[in-house]
Amino acid sequence: MKRTAWIVAALLAALLALPGAALLAKDKVLNFALSGNPDTLDPHKTAGTLTFQTLKSIYDTLVEADQKEKIVPALAESWTISPDSLTWIFKLRAGVVFHNGEPLTARDVKATFERVKAKETASPKASEFAAIASTAAPDDATVVITLSKPFAPFLGVLASGWAAILPKSLIDSGNDFATKPVGTGPFALKEFTRDSRIVLVKNTNYWMKDLPKLDQVVMNIIPERAVQVQGLMAGAIDAVEFVDTEDIKVLQASADVQIDKSLSALILVMAMNCTNPVLSNAKVRQAVNYAIDKQKVLDVAYGGGKVIGTFMDADNAYYQDYTGLYPYNPEKAKSLLREAGVTADTSFEMVLPSNYDMHVKAGQLYQEMLTKVGLNVKIKLVDWPTWLSDAYTNAKYDFTVVGHTGKLDPDGTLGNYGNKSRYVRWDNPVCLSFITRAAGITDFKTRKRLYDQALEIMAREVPFMYLGSSYRYKAYRKNVSEYRMTPKLDTFDFRWTDVK
Amino acid sequence: MKKLGSGNIAFSLAILYLLILGAAAVTAPLISPRSPTAQDLSRRFAPPGRDFPLGSDDFGRDILSRIIHGSRSALLVGIVSVAIATTIGMAAGLLAALSPGAVDNVVMLVMDSLLSFPTVLLAITVVSFLGYGLLQVMIAIGVIYSPTFARIVRAEALVIKTEEYVEASRSLGSPMLKVVFRHIVPNLLGKVIVQASVTFALAVVVEASLSYLGLGMQPPAPSWGLMLKDARNYLVQAPWLALYPGLVLAFTVLCFNVIGDTLSERLNPKVR
Repeated sequence: MKRTAWIVAALLAALLALPGAALLAKDKVLNFALSGNPDTLDPHKTAGTLTFQTLKSIYDTLVEADQKEKIVPALAESWTISPDSLTWIFKLRAGVVFHNGEPLTARDVKATFERVKAKETASPKASEFAAIASTAAPDDATVVITLSKPFAPFLGVLASGWAAILPKSLIDSGNDFATKPVGTGPFALKEFTRDSRIVLVKNTNYWMKDLPKLDQVVMNIIPERAVQVQGLMAGAIDAVEFVDTEDIKVLQASADVQIDKSLSALILVMAMNCTNPVLSNAKVRQAVNYAIDKQKVLDVAYGGGKVIGTFMDADNAYYQDYTGLYPYNPEKAKSLLREAGVTADTSFEMVLPSNYDMHVKAGQLYQEMLTKVGLNVKIKLVDWPTWLSDAYTNAKYDFTVVGHTGKLDPDGTLGNYGNKSRYVRWDNPVCLSFITRAAGITDFKTRKRLYDQALEIMAREVPFMYLGSSYRYKAYRKNVSEYRMTPKLDTFDFRWTDVK
Repeated sequence: MKKLGSGNIAFSLAILYLLILGAAAVTAPLISPRSPTAQDLSRRFAPPGRDFPLGSDDFGRDILSRIIHGSRSALLVGIVSVAIATTIGMAAGLLAALSPGAVDNVVMLVMDSLLSFPTVLLAITVVSFLGYGLLQVMIAIGVIYSPTFARIVRAEALVIKTEEYVEASRSLGSPMLKVVFRHIVPNLLGKVIVQASVTFALAVVVEASLSYLGLGMQPPAPSWGLMLKDARNYLVQAPWLALYPGLVLAFTVLCFNVIGDTLSERLNPKVR
């Protein structure tokens, strides 16, 4: 008797649940696969590309880059620059509201930039805002930013994720943006369960008309590539961050999956620690460059791409081709090492970030190639936080492998190289002076001449083994349209994305 | 009788397999067709065939050679960590059994609290304190499995301690240490050996797990766990990358378990 009652109850519950399920099915939901957790949801306290890939949907910036890399209005409708390029006046768009319902005013912008610059925020990107002398809000819709010196990269900085605008009221009340993000972006955070998923829901008051098209974006955190691929083929996942070349053959067999190929703005490198007594010798670093078959490593570890010879992504307007300087030549590498007196007795430690399969793979290829020219290299895998603190911040490594994400302005890419504070610990005041001077010049040609010289020094002195820019294979199911990426910054832009 | 007979065949096969594996580990550099770390980038993902008997991996390395060399670290980790676990476990177990109640309580409390942690979690903790590497992995596994030995040894020693021959020896004036090594230890060795063979299998699995997680052997060293880690991205395209190291690992564990079961049957008077 009791059992029958249970069955009836279950049936009733199922019937009641049906209309709900049908309603839910009408919602346009994009199931996305992300390969890791964002370290925080506070845009001013991180430098991680993976993090900005999520934050792009939650926050907006004053200006932004369109699909052709042109800087266009976003929260700021228009702006004027004084003849001495020191005073920038931004007119804010009317009718923009934050996720908590407060309207956007110039005071929010002022509070935001003061927060980024504040010491206690400890923003890893604070130096990019150093040129801001003061921010003023004469009325609700006008922001006046005064720079202490001409700063050409300024619009590029303002268009980057780390210049996201936060509401003043929550900054003042000490809101924890790391877990409770509030912005003006196309989506608001509904749920963030570490190692599981991030759920973003549509901002119905978004300032762009009829956008976003999706009702929900569910970012499933799936570190295993094979699981992402299977999910995509089975339809549990609509789009993935990127796929490996080895997976392409499998995905092509599925009629439902579309693969787009493009060249990323990544600068893939093997960094060399210039404070290592052996690696401080430029000859040894050149030998390392000669020892690596760059195209092969790009093909095997990174799914192909274009080889570079200096610290700039291959498709960049400022790129200079120095690949002919130290081409693959193991014999030449051996003779340079002999000249420098380096033998297999000197051992080097190659620190690899274990969460990046492709860097670990590249590291193993490098190790084999370096062994062939007589170097003794040992691999040490570390997790990402350890890599950031030990290798990137404290330079506890001899070799390390990583990729630098593209930037909207070359100053973002080159900033400060030549200064010993950067993780390669390379000391070159001449190179540094070119980079610093270029930041103050707005004329493209004059600026490029300075960067050309900096890039040439970097190409000859090789504090890195420059590998190249890799292809990016974006995979999604054919019912997904307009799966866009922000150029250079490698973040996803889901505003126009739609699912059928 | 029939059941015992089939057990004997399985037991012999297990011994044979492990002997072959042991021989392969010892003579690895001689019998491997290629170097386990040599890359051949023009022949990545070669299916099993004449050049690569078990196929090649994502770096064009010979999988057979890597499995053979990998048996070295697997067996080495098994032997050393079981030795560590046995030493710690026996010392703690004997100390607990033969000491006054307070010491017994403290020692067993420590052992039981170790036992209450999930194995791999504890191993990760130990490795993150000591750093990554083969030696650290062996110490971690040894420490983790010592409580099981301590419990067995203590329980057995408590029984043996009250046997008449032990009391006789004591009353004849033999020093305690002599009694322990002459009478108590030999009588509990049977149980310890059974536990050792089971632990050996577990140790091989934990080593593979830690390497799989990137906490054990560092690439490009050949290790079964590392091979499986590499293989997980290519399950569809090149299943042989995961298949063969997986099979070898599974067989090794199975064989140690068969040996453990058979030994425990033979050494247990109730079953015999």
